[in-house]
Amino acid sequence: MRLALAIGSFVILVVHGVVFYNQFFHDWERHQSAYFDQARGLAKTDAERAAITGRSPRIEQIIVTNFGETRVDRCTTCHVASDDPRFEKYAHPLKSHPFSTAMGDVQKNGRWERRHKFSDFGCTVCHDGQGRGLKPHYSHGEDHYWPDPMLGFVTQEPWRKEFLPKLKGKAYMEANCAQCHTESTFAGAAQVERGRKLFFTSNCYGCHRIEGLSDGTLGPDLTQAGKKFKVDYLWESIVDPRANLATSVMPQFKLSEGDVQALVIFLKSRKGINFAETGLQQYRARLQDATAVVQATIKPVAITPASMVQQGEKLLNDRACLACHKLGGKDGGIAPELSYEGLLRAEPWLFDHFKNPHSTVPDSIMPTFRFTDDEFRAMSAYLATLKAPPKLDTGAEIYQTLCQRCHGEKGDGQGMIAIYLDPYPRDLTKASFMNSKTEARLLDSIKNGVGGTSMPAWSKVLSDDQVKAVLSHVLTTFTKDKRRDLKPSKAPDTNPVMASAASTARGEATFVKRCAGCHGRKGDGKGPNALDILPRPRNLRNAWFVNSTSDRRLFESILYGVQGTAMPAWVDYGMTSNDVGDLVNFIRSMNQKPKGSQYARSN
Amino acid sequence: MAVNLRRNSGRKSEEVDLPRRRFLGWLSSVGLFGSAVLSAMSNLVFIKPRATYGAPQRFSIGKPDEFPAGTRVAVETRRICVVREGNKVAAISTTCTHLGCIIGLSETGFACPCHGSRFDSDGNVTGGPAPRPLPWFKVTLAPNGELEVDKDTEIEPGSYLNV
Repeated sequence: MRLALAIGSFVILVVHGVVFYNQFFHDWERHQSAYFDQARGLAKTDAERAAITGRSPRIEQIIVTNFGETRVDRCTTCHVASDDPRFEKYAHPLKSHPFSTAMGDVQKNGRWERRHKFSDFGCTVCHDGQGRGLKPHYSHGEDHYWPDPMLGFVTQEPWRKEFLPKLKGKAYMEANCAQCHTESTFAGAAQVERGRKLFFTSNCYGCHRIEGLSDGTLGPDLTQAGKKFKVDYLWESIVDPRANLATSVMPQFKLSEGDVQALVIFLKSRKGINFAETGLQQYRARLQDATAVVQATIKPVAITPASMVQQGEKLLNDRACLACHKLGGKDGGIAPELSYEGLLRAEPWLFDHFKNPHSTVPDSIMPTFRFTDDEFRAMSAYLATLKAPPKLDTGAEIYQTLCQRCHGEKGDGQGMIAIYLDPYPRDLTKASFMNSKTEARLLDSIKNGVGGTSMPAWSKVLSDDQVKAVLSHVLTTFTKDKRRDLKPSKAPDTNPVMASAASTARGEATFVKRCAGCHGRKGDGKGPNALDILPRPRNLRNAWFVNSTSDRRLFESILYGVQGTAMPAWVDYGMTSNDVGDLVNFIRSMNQKPKGSQYARSN
Repeated sequence: MAVNLRRNSGRKSEEVDLPRRRFLGWLSSVGLFGSAVLSAMSNLVFIKPRATYGAPQRFSIGKPDEFPAGTRVAVETRRICVVREGNKVAAISTTCTHLGCIIGLSETGFACPCHGSRFDSDGNVTGGPAPRPLPWFKVTLAPNGELEVDKDTEIEPGSYLNV
């Protein structure tokens, strides 16, 4: 008992001692004492000696009020010699802050003078970090809950290891230079300017909004990206968009490491505030018409009818369409090729697609650009002139030139741009599907395309012989399995059930019961099971597709299933022709003919 | 004390135990008393804050060149008056020693607008309710070549820094 008490009290004493020591003996005191000792030794004149006498270690702080919220920077508590030029060659933390002409420091009479005085600017305005911290771990922002680690110097523990070396370097601090030096010609923030240019040439502006720069609506607003996100998150989101959000549709752009860094620095500089502006100026800017502000960076072009085509071509290049699409030598590797667009698509279709990509390809990820109608007309006019068919002989050649980009080198539907297409390109190696369809049906898909998807009607580019050649190439090279003779199915050519409100209601009831699990309650192909299924369930609200599909095909697919997919033969589950007729009526009722249906595939 | 009884019964005499008991008792009391003293000290020290959020008391006022000979200029935000005579520089407080108003410069020295206290050019009281002369603060030349005023250190009136 006494022993336990004795040991216990001794342990408590030790713990108290440790707490006491930690509370009253600090690293910064040691640093300051060391500085005073060194400075006393270095002092040559009486004035220098006088300056150091009577000083004892204490918490030094700079209160910065001119740059946004008031900052309390205690960095000089440890970095006590930061403004003492005699300590130029010492080790941290007793090293003096370097002078640089790039920062605006000038040399007068052999003495450097700082342009950015620490007493006015503090430290965190440029460096970030936690100004109030008194221990390196906290003050440098190494603690991973701190939102602003020191830019370009400090990486936090949970950051992805492969990014760490790329996230270091003085260049990152340019993001903070740009908080005041907003002019694009400012030499000290060259990386920010490079990133700003990339934001437009890589077509980031099409999806993302940055107040005063761009007004995309598809992706997250990046006006305050620099305030919200750390550099590692920004880097990761650019090089690996799906790392944080598995369903992100952001493409993986082809960017060099230097470009990614410039973009990260540019985004880090977007904090939604600008130290150089007063609150009144910011308020005025906000009151301005947003489109007017955006048009300052994406200037609308006046289109003259005579040179429409040339202007359209120039627009296509200036507005960075080829950051995704392929045309001529340029290839963004994300969206379909445009080289034969004049043959494949009619000019009104192109205009509609520009105006609203979803009106013609309902599940397209192409953003809706806010260009003027005249500009869209000019771009459509230019694309419509691309009418030179490629010279192709063998099926293999045709496949490589026209099909491979989506359907893939191996024909497995995993082409370069496949993940950006919805629905995914068909897997041509899946014999169960390919051999369950008649050759006429496959030829039809190639010749006339698949409505409402990225599969165009190739009959406008290829002759009948060429289409047959490419199909036989696909069947022999990819599908491989011998084709069986297909018995004609017993599906009716037209829906025997008359369309009526009662039939639609019965169809809806069946749909909710039988189909919604995969096709979704809304019929948009996004039911709860959809993500587990490849190919994905068909979007039955894609009017272009549904309207271009015959009753016979719908009946076949529902009654006898689609081989090689998750769609079962519902005839096995007791569904009758009448039930299917109701379902077809219901599906058709969801897809009223869209406006401008004169551009449907039959044209 | 069942534990002690059992332990004692196992021993031959209690005399062997006594120094050990005394040592344990001494150890416990030192431990507890020491802890109490340390924690009391830790708590007492918190009465005075190590840092406050006000503007720092030691600050730079600029290079000596910015104050040509003969200057008498009030730095209102810092509440000091910088005086330069020839090569000598000093900083005089402009906070009234009466009730803490901000004192302005006058022809004869300083004058407080609140209750009419008057001071001569060295800060000595020449009239009004002010009880004490204005304090002078220590001015030093920092290594970066700027003048630094330390409002925490008052110096003898009339002592200047040679620059």
